Amino acid sequence: MSQLLVDRKQIEEFLIDEAAYLDEGKFSEWLDLFTEDSFYWIPSNQDDIDPNTHVSIIYDDKNRLEERVWRLQSGLAYGQEPKSRTRHLVTNVKVLHCEEDKVIVTSNFILVELRRSIQTIYSGRLEHHLKQTDTTWKIASKKVELINNNEFLGNLSFLF
Amino acid sequence: MINSENITQYIKDTAVHGDIYTDEEIFKQEMTSIFEKTWVYVGHESEIANSGDYKTTVIGTHPLIVTRDSDTDEVHVVFNRCRHRAATVCQQEKGNANYFRCAYHGWTYSNNGDLTGMPFQDGYGEEFDRCKMGLIKVPRVGIYQGFIFASLSEEGPTLEEHLGNARPYIDYVVNTCPEGISLNAGAHKYRFDGNWKLQVENTIDPYHLSVTHRSFFNLMSKKTGKKINFSKMHKNEKIRDLGNGHSLYELDGDLGIGALPFNLIVFPNLGFLGSQVRVTWPVSVNKTNVFLYPIMLKGASVEENAARLRKHEGFYGPAGFGTVDDLEVGFDRVMEGLNAKGKDGEWLEISRGLEREEVDEKGIITATSSDEVSARALYKAWKKLMTADDSNVETRGKKHEPTVGRP
Repeated sequence: MSQLLVDRKQIEEFLIDEAAYLDEGKFSEWLDLFTEDSFYWIPSNQDDIDPNTHVSIIYDDKNRLEERVWRLQSGLAYGQEPKSRTRHLVTNVKVLHCEEDKVIVTSNFILVELRRSIQTIYSGRLEHHLKQTDTTWKIASKKVELINNNEFLGNLSFLF
Repeated sequence: MINSENITQYIKDTAVHGDIYTDEEIFKQEMTSIFEKTWVYVGHESEIANSGDYKTTVIGTHPLIVTRDSDTDEVHVVFNRCRHRAATVCQQEKGNANYFRCAYHGWTYSNNGDLTGMPFQDGYGEEFDRCKMGLIKVPRVGIYQGFIFASLSEEGPTLEEHLGNARPYIDYVVNTCPEGISLNAGAHKYRFDGNWKLQVENTIDPYHLSVTHRSFFNLMSKKTGKKINFSKMHKNEKIRDLGNGHSLYELDGDLGIGALPFNLIVFPNLGFLGSQVRVTWPVSVNKTNVFLYPIMLKGASVEENAARLRKHEGFYGPAGFGTVDDLEVGFDRVMEGLNAKGKDGEWLEISRGLEREEVDEKGIITATSSDEVSARALYKAWKKLMTADDSNVETRGKKHEPTVGRP
């Protein structure tokens, strides 16, 4: 049924556009993709945790996500001086669930980050919950399941 | 070669030499003179709450298993090393097991460490005493208010003596909640390419807050409409040298980063701050692993504990607004700067506020919160242990002979 309601290509393009905002440093535009009641979530230690009883690497509501972006643009976020250069590769896009104006889409990602002359590769699975508005899709939640979420991580002050 | 006599040239009352963060020999000496001598935190009872539970950890660079005996519920701390061919017998971070079976040749140990058997036992003669071939236990284990410590030294102060004036503050942490606390909400784990002492020093260093973390406090004042007056704050707040390397920073009000009204360093590598227990693992002279365990309140509502988690994540962890700036400024840039070794320019200042220290009848030294009381406390204990010229020095030298002449 899902194939009938949404075009996977269209959703994939949305994810590619989202990634491009991040790689081009267009963080305000990226932030605008999120709905007012959205979440940006990176679980810690394992993929399936209850964020109310288990710590997350990031569990941002829209308000904190705005603060995160504000900080990155403030000129005072030393964790991003020097700034990370990133390339987000989004693949294996699959529409898991689909209603008329809601989609759950999963994908795999590789994120190459360069900072302080050190190139680091991150990878994992993304789960986006998307909502259709009048003209476009919006992100109701973005979950980032890092394959190394139980390892000792470095400075993650950039955006996934 | 570094020894207990020449190590003193790296420490003054007012400054420490940059080599203490970069010299491999000093690091090795720290592992033997500090981590193998004093009490080191290895876990909290809530992490091994049930019979048969275990967790793996380290003291210095020694891998260990902390277990709760399936029969007696006693806590054991054993070396994670098969007595046959040295393979680690436990690979998991935590779990529940009645025994550990080495996957190399099948030697099997109960979770109290006893060797229970191995395949094809007929190969060992009468002289082979199986009772003596259990996993090696660390010489001393102590538990204070649920916090499990171990010492690789058979002698030395008791755990209570070592904790000394830090005890009432650990009591406070535990008594935050009538039903007690638990470290069962997972952990933030991060690493940096720098020396472990940088993270310990940074655990009590309010002097850097208004500079390194200005963006965070700007956000806070935007949110609350109140600007933090750091100069007033540093006048009101105190840092105390509690002795034995421990120190305390008493906050004057809520900084928006956690529930505890103080930061506490328990020498050498344990911290209590925000709403977390912080454990710093030295890996090598320029590599450090850090755990942040959010402190959960037993019996509190899910909402209350969730709010603690959100506050913690806001400042701390590998993507927290505070930690990432510490990683860059406090660790990466310091390690980079340490390579600049101009004449007379190799010292790092710890003199701030030395002139305004006060000492009370218990010997607790106090100055204000922008003062470097905590670093001085740390290096007093560091120097004491690093220069301890006990009778073991010779044996210690011998014991480590193979590694002294490393490439």
